[in-house]
Amino acid sequence: MLAYALRRILQAIPIILLATVIAFFAVTWANGDPRARLATCTTCDESAYDRIVELYELDKPTYQRYVSWLGDVVTGDLGISTSQGERPVNEIFWERFRNTLLLALPAFVIVAVLSLVLSVYQAIKQYSFGDYALSAFSYFGLSMPTFFFGLVLQAIVIQLNNSFGWKFFWTQGLHDENFKELIASITLPVLTLVLISVAGETRFGRASMLEIKNSEYIRTARAKGLSERRVVFRHMLRNALIPLVTIWALDFAALLSGAVITESVFSWPGLGRMLLDGIFATDLDVVMAVVTALSIMAVLFNLFADLLYGVLDPRIRLD
Amino acid sequence: MTEPILEVENLVTHFPIKAGFFRRQVGVVHAVDGVSLAVDERETLGIVGESGCGKTTLGRTILRLEEPTSGRVLYNGEDITDASNERMRDLRAELQIVFQDPYASLNPRHSINDIVAEPLLVHGWDRKKALDKTGDLLKAVGLLPEHGNRYPHEFSGGQRQRIGIARALALEPAVIILDEPVSALDVSVQAQVINLLEDLQDQHGLTYLFIAHDLSVVRHISDRIAVMYLGRVAELADRDELYENPAHPYTHSLLSAVPVADPDLERARNRIVLEGDTPSPSAPPSGCRFRTRCPIAQPLCAEAEPEFTEISPGHFVACHYPVPPGQSLVDLVGSSAAAAG
Repeated sequence: MLAYALRRILQAIPIILLATVIAFFAVTWANGDPRARLATCTTCDESAYDRIVELYELDKPTYQRYVSWLGDVVTGDLGISTSQGERPVNEIFWERFRNTLLLALPAFVIVAVLSLVLSVYQAIKQYSFGDYALSAFSYFGLSMPTFFFGLVLQAIVIQLNNSFGWKFFWTQGLHDENFKELIASITLPVLTLVLISVAGETRFGRASMLEIKNSEYIRTARAKGLSERRVVFRHMLRNALIPLVTIWALDFAALLSGAVITESVFSWPGLGRMLLDGIFATDLDVVMAVVTALSIMAVLFNLFADLLYGVLDPRIRLD
Repeated sequence: MTEPILEVENLVTHFPIKAGFFRRQVGVVHAVDGVSLAVDERETLGIVGESGCGKTTLGRTILRLEEPTSGRVLYNGEDITDASNERMRDLRAELQIVFQDPYASLNPRHSINDIVAEPLLVHGWDRKKALDKTGDLLKAVGLLPEHGNRYPHEFSGGQRQRIGIARALALEPAVIILDEPVSALDVSVQAQVINLLEDLQDQHGLTYLFIAHDLSVVRHISDRIAVMYLGRVAELADRDELYENPAHPYTHSLLSAVPVADPDLERARNRIVLEGDTPSPSAPPSGCRFRTRCPIAQPLCAEAEPEFTEISPGHFVACHYPVPPGQSLVDLVGSSAAAAG
């Protein structure tokens, strides 16, 4: 399994390189010249112009700039942000990554637990009132656009504040002075992320559980005289988990790479916002840092899902 | 006469057909529709019939893997149809089943040891003893104890069915329902598994309810045979009596469908080919269920349901006009055609 993992990581390197090449050239060509931004800048002088040319090596062809960017990244230098006062991107990245984790981790844990519990419940009580109610909830979650649901939550909280003076949750930004403030600021964005993900995953988990519920070997398990609990947890769940694990791994990768829309709605200083701001500001090193991190995470979590398969399903040999 | 180990009285299993937005019940499948049987200890009772006649559902209902709609199942005189779930779990140590499909009936995520030892573990054995016993069971069905660490996908169909049998034997049951245990296997392997089942029956004093559609297999293994048609028992007799003096026209047609391994005889043989399809079990015909396809049906057959009557000792048949011993249905069809002409 270790050899398999190592080989997969080695195979991932060209994929990540390709992703960075595409991103680098796309950003360079689509957004044009970083110098254009200076045209509207009234306080900038000639030295700012020269500085940008120097930072981005704009006097060299694009492919040379890519190679030199890559060389820096490999040695651990993500570059300089031109839109944030020449702060090192390394510093910005880790700060933003931490902030994204603050949302992604709790959201992921809640999504995993909820989708699991709900899909088991729905499959076992198929066609019950609860099953229908949860299906309705899932369709609601699936059809609700993220930005809209985020705005609705904000509107409700603001209304509660205005009417009753309740100040439970922050609707904007990250407040981490103490634990209570932190919870108050992550609640709404986490809730938004959870609703969107849990809806789809529950549908998926329900279908997967139902398929297994009606399989022959579940009848065998009952014929052995097992308790219903044991049938559900030892026989059904373990089989139903496999498709869910993939979805979870990919979902977590997506959450980590920054939920761009949710972070924008809640003005959350995470990776998603970092990417968006970087694109608007033609801040090349910032954009490239996020894109690279994103592709590394996608590859890693796919690998993680595959390794978990091997653990869960004896028919899958990882070698 | 000794008390039968397993008795089935008027067992009925209906499945509702639900349709529409509110999933209202729009009909009922009469899968098992009033079956009565008694199985003696150490006996093999064969149950034959076409696909869809309710054999499998009967087997599952006896074990309460499907809930009966009405009727009773008695095991050693104890009514198990409304036994509590806890009691039923204990009874599963004594009433076991081997399923038809050895590919689908083993959990792909569990090792053979897990599969075979699990019934022992949940019935209170400690792990060490359960694993020893599992090794013995695997040996008893012709596998090696070392196979226990492997997974179902590493075995062939015949080996898997042996695993299914080992699993069923684990708790040393008294009765095993064999639900078409060899129909998914190829012929060379069928014989091995059948012989294994017979040996195990001798060694452990097992009682079998052998469900099959293959008449030659049933003839080989059974002491008595029940013929099912559309959820009912049409005929029940000792094996030899049934094969030599079948009384129900349906049994005649089933037996005439068995091919003979001699090309000359096979060509000369008069086969009774039933016309039409089996009626839908959601709307069985009035009177005798077989009348729509019976070559000798009379007006009475549509009006009254035939009683299940004993025509000779131990030979029961549900037919208004049973075929007399020694006569073939082909002759009767010929004479009734002549009478009509």
